[in-house]
Amino acid sequence: MLVYLIRRILVMIPTLLLVSVICFAVIQLQPGSFADRYLEDPRFTPETVERLNAQLGLDKTPVEQYLIWLSGIVTRLDFGFSFFANRPVSGIIGERLAWTVVVAGVTLGFAWLVAVPLGIVVALRRNGFTDAVASFVGYIGLAVPDFLVALLLIALVLAYGGTNVGGLFSAQYLGAPWSWAKFVDLLNHLWIPVLAIGTGGIAQVMRQMRANLLDVLNADYVRTAKAKGLHPRRVTYRHAVRTAINPLVSMAGLQLPELINGTIIASIVLNLPTIGPLLYTSLLNKDQYVAMTLLLFASLLLMIGNLLADLALAWVDPRIRYG
Amino acid sequence: MYRRILALLIVASLAFSAVGLAQPKVVGYPGLGMVAGTPGGTLTLALGDSPPRFFYYGEISAISQALTMQMFDTLIDFDLETYELVPGLAREWSVSDDGTVITLHLREGVAWHDGTPFTADDVVFTFDQIVTNPEARAGDAASFIFTVDGEQRRATFSAPDANTVVITLPTPAPAFLLFLRSFYIMPKHKLLPFSVEGGAQPADINDAWPTDVATSEVVGTGAFRLSEYVPGQVVRLVKNWNYWRVDEAGTPLPYLDGLTYLIVPGTDAQVAQFLAGNLDQLNISGGQFPDFKSRELAGAGFSVVAARALFGSPPHLAFNFDATDPELAAVFSNHEFRQAMEYAVDRMRVIDDVYNGLAEIPGTPTAPVNGAFYEDTTGLMRMYDLEAAAAALDALGLVDTNGNGVRNISPTRELEFTLTYGNDSATWTDVATIVQNDFAEIGVRANLRGIQSSQLLGTGIAGDYEALLVAIGNQPDPELRKPIWQPGGSLYYWHRATQPAAQGERPNFDAMADWELRVFEIFETGSVNIDAESRAANYREWQRLNAEYVPVIMIAKPSNVAAVYDHVGNFVYNLGVIPGYNPVPHYFRR
Repeated sequence: MLVYLIRRILVMIPTLLLVSVICFAVIQLQPGSFADRYLEDPRFTPETVERLNAQLGLDKTPVEQYLIWLSGIVTRLDFGFSFFANRPVSGIIGERLAWTVVVAGVTLGFAWLVAVPLGIVVALRRNGFTDAVASFVGYIGLAVPDFLVALLLIALVLAYGGTNVGGLFSAQYLGAPWSWAKFVDLLNHLWIPVLAIGTGGIAQVMRQMRANLLDVLNADYVRTAKAKGLHPRRVTYRHAVRTAINPLVSMAGLQLPELINGTIIASIVLNLPTIGPLLYTSLLNKDQYVAMTLLLFASLLLMIGNLLADLALAWVDPRIRYG
Repeated sequence: MYRRILALLIVASLAFSAVGLAQPKVVGYPGLGMVAGTPGGTLTLALGDSPPRFFYYGEISAISQALTMQMFDTLIDFDLETYELVPGLAREWSVSDDGTVITLHLREGVAWHDGTPFTADDVVFTFDQIVTNPEARAGDAASFIFTVDGEQRRATFSAPDANTVVITLPTPAPAFLLFLRSFYIMPKHKLLPFSVEGGAQPADINDAWPTDVATSEVVGTGAFRLSEYVPGQVVRLVKNWNYWRVDEAGTPLPYLDGLTYLIVPGTDAQVAQFLAGNLDQLNISGGQFPDFKSRELAGAGFSVVAARALFGSPPHLAFNFDATDPELAAVFSNHEFRQAMEYAVDRMRVIDDVYNGLAEIPGTPTAPVNGAFYEDTTGLMRMYDLEAAAAALDALGLVDTNGNGVRNISPTRELEFTLTYGNDSATWTDVATIVQNDFAEIGVRANLRGIQSSQLLGTGIAGDYEALLVAIGNQPDPELRKPIWQPGGSLYYWHRATQPAAQGERPNFDAMADWELRVFEIFETGSVNIDAESRAANYREWQRLNAEYVPVIMIAKPSNVAAVYDHVGNFVYNLGVIPGYNPVPHYFRR
C-alpha cells in the first residue's frame, strides 16, 4: 500500500510539469500584454512600458520566464509574485483559501447529503411519480447554469425586499469578530451560493446514484440475498447501496478541483471572496504567475482527489486492494 | 517680479481658526445645491475590484485612485462648480513672469494621520523621489522632462522653508498648474525607506504599502484614513478628525464618520447590492438608466442624476492609415474617404439607443463642456446622411463593379475590412452593430472582430487592426493628451507612419499630410505658449482641422450617470472620479 502511495505521488511530478508547460504556453499565446490595460492613462509612456516589462521580467524570453518561475518553486517553494498586487502569489491565494474551502465544502456536502438519499429513493421507486418528478427537476438542475440560478435567486431576494444579495456577510459584519449574530448573517448569505452552485451537483450525483443502484439491484447476489429470505431493507441498504456507492467515491475525488475553477461565473455573480474570481481576473489581466499557480493548484487537487478517491475506494470496498 | 495667477479673492477669504492657523474657508456651492450638512453616519460605496495596493504611485488603478482621493490631498484642487483651480494643500501660489518658476505657499498646521506635521519636505520628496522616479509604475517621470534646444532637462523642486515649495521648469509650461492637481502628496517619514534617498533601489518604490501592510502605515493628509481591509470584501476608512477643510459655517469636514467600500466586481452584482440598499450610491451607464429611472419613479427612495462630462472617454472610429493591405491603406489615408464614412455614422442613434439620450454630440475631440478650449465644430462635422455618404464614395470611384452589393476598391478587392471592437461591453457591441449595418447600407462591408475592451488601445498601438472602435479620455487641457492627438505621438495610433523610428528621435515628418504638420506645430506651440488667449485659439484651430480632415470619427460624448439614495446629502457627480475633484467630504447622511 505504501509503495503504491509513493509511486502515485511520484507520477504526479512529471504530470504537473507537463501541465505547467501547457498552461504557460497557452497564457503566452493569449493576445495582448500586461501593460495594455494602462495604455490609456496619460502617465503611461512608452518608456514606462519598457521599465515595467523589465521590472516584471517580461523582457526575457518566455522560456527564461518559465524556467525562472519553475526554479523558484523547486528551490524555495516560491510561486512567483502577482504583477498586479506586487506581492507573492502564495499570500494572495492564502487570503482567499479559507473561504473557498468553506463555500465549496458546504456546497459539496449539501449536494451529496441531498443527492445520495434522493438517488436511492428514485432508484427504489423506478418509473414512479417520485422518479419522474426528481428526474425532471434533476435535468433542469443540470441544464441551467449555476450563475443563472444565482441571478434568479438574487432577483427573488430583491423582489421580497431582502438585502442578502451577494457576498458572505452584510457590510457591518465584514471584519467584525465572530458572534452569534455574525454566524446567523453568514447563514443568511450562504444559502444562495449553496443552492445555486449545489443544484447542478445534486442532479449529477442523484442520476449517478440512481443508475448505480439500479445496476446493483439487478445483480445476481442481490437476487440470491432476497431468495435467502433476507429482509428487503437489509438487502437494499446493507448490500446494494453499499456497493452502488463505490463509483460515487471516485466521483467525489474528481470534484476537488471544482473548489477553484468549477464555479467561477457564479462566484463573480454572487461576489464571493473565493479563488475562482481571482483566477478569472488574473487570466484577463495577464497576471501570469497568479494564473499559472492557480491552474497548477487545480491540477494538483485533481490528482490528489483521484488518489484519495482510490484510497477511499479500497477502504469502502473490500474487493479492491493495491499493492 | 512675480505675477499672481490666482485671484486675490482667495487670499481675502483667508480665515483664522480657533488655533490661529490660516485656513481659507471653503466656498459653499449653492449652484450645485449644497447645504450645510450634519456630521455623523457612514456611507457605503462600491469598489469594482480589490485594491492592488494602497500606494497610489505603485500601480495605475482606478481602485487605488478612488481610495487615495479620500486619504490624500493634492496641492491644487478643482473648484467643484467652475472647474477653476483652487487651493488644496497649497494655500496660494505664484508664477514668475517668464512662466518657469512656480512658488507654492503651503497651508500651515496640516498634519498627517499619525500626527506628524506636513511640510514642504514631503512635497519635494513626493515629486523628487516618487513622481519623477522612472521606475515608479504609476509615476509620471516623462512629464517632468522638457526638451530645450535638443537637450533633455528635468524640472527641479526645492523647499526654501517648511511652508514653501519652489518648482523650476526648464521652459514655460502653461498647463503645469492644471497638471499639478493630479499628484497626491505622500508622507516622507513613512516612505523614505523605499526611496533612493533612503538607500533603496529605484524600483523598490513599488514595494511600498502592499495590501497586507499595517493600516497605521498608510497615512495621508486627506479627509479619511485607512482603518481596515478585509481581502476581497471590504475597505473601511474613518474620519480624519484633524482634517484642514471646513465648510462655509466653519464646521470641520468631512461630515461623515466613515466610508465603507464594499468590493463588488461585476456590474450585475453592484446593481443588486445597490437595489438591496447595501450601497448608498452607484455610478451607472446610460444603458442602465431606464431601469433605474423607472424604479426611481416607482418610489424606490433613490434618484438618478446625470451630468455632462468633462473627463471620461468619448468613443471614436479609426481607420488604419497604415493598414497591412496596401489598397486599404491607400483608401483609409484619403481624408475624402473618411469624410464619406463620417456621413454613415449615425451619432444620434448611438446617443438615443445606446446611451438613452445621456450623451451628446462630441467635440473633435475636446469635450463640449470644456469652456476654456471647446470649439463648436458641429457645423463642420458631417451628420448622418447615407445618400451623401454613397455619393461621396461614388465620387471617389469606389463603386460596385462586380454587382455583389459591395463596393470595389479595384476589380479584385472589395471595400471590405474588419472592424475591431470590445465585445465584453454592451455599449461597444451596440455601437459596432449600428456602424456595421449603416456601412452595409452604402455597400461597405465591415466584419466585426470582438476583443477585450482593455486590449483595444494596445491593439491600435500595435497596428493590428483595419478599423477600430475605441474610447480615449478627454482632459481639461489638450496638452495633457498630446501623445494621442499630436501626429507622431506614441498614441497617435491611426497613422503610425508618423511616429519616430526610435524613441526620443524626431517624428517622421515625411509621412505627415499638410494638416498633420500644422497640428504638430499647434501642439509644439501649445506646450510652451503662456499667453492663454492665443494658446486657446491655436487649439481651436486644431479642432477645426480635426473636424475637416477627420483623423478619427468622433461618435458621442457620454454623460456621467449615477444613482444615489435620498439619504445622501450634497451628492455631486459632475466630473467623475478624477484627481483634484473630490466632493465626498461634503457628503452627509440625512
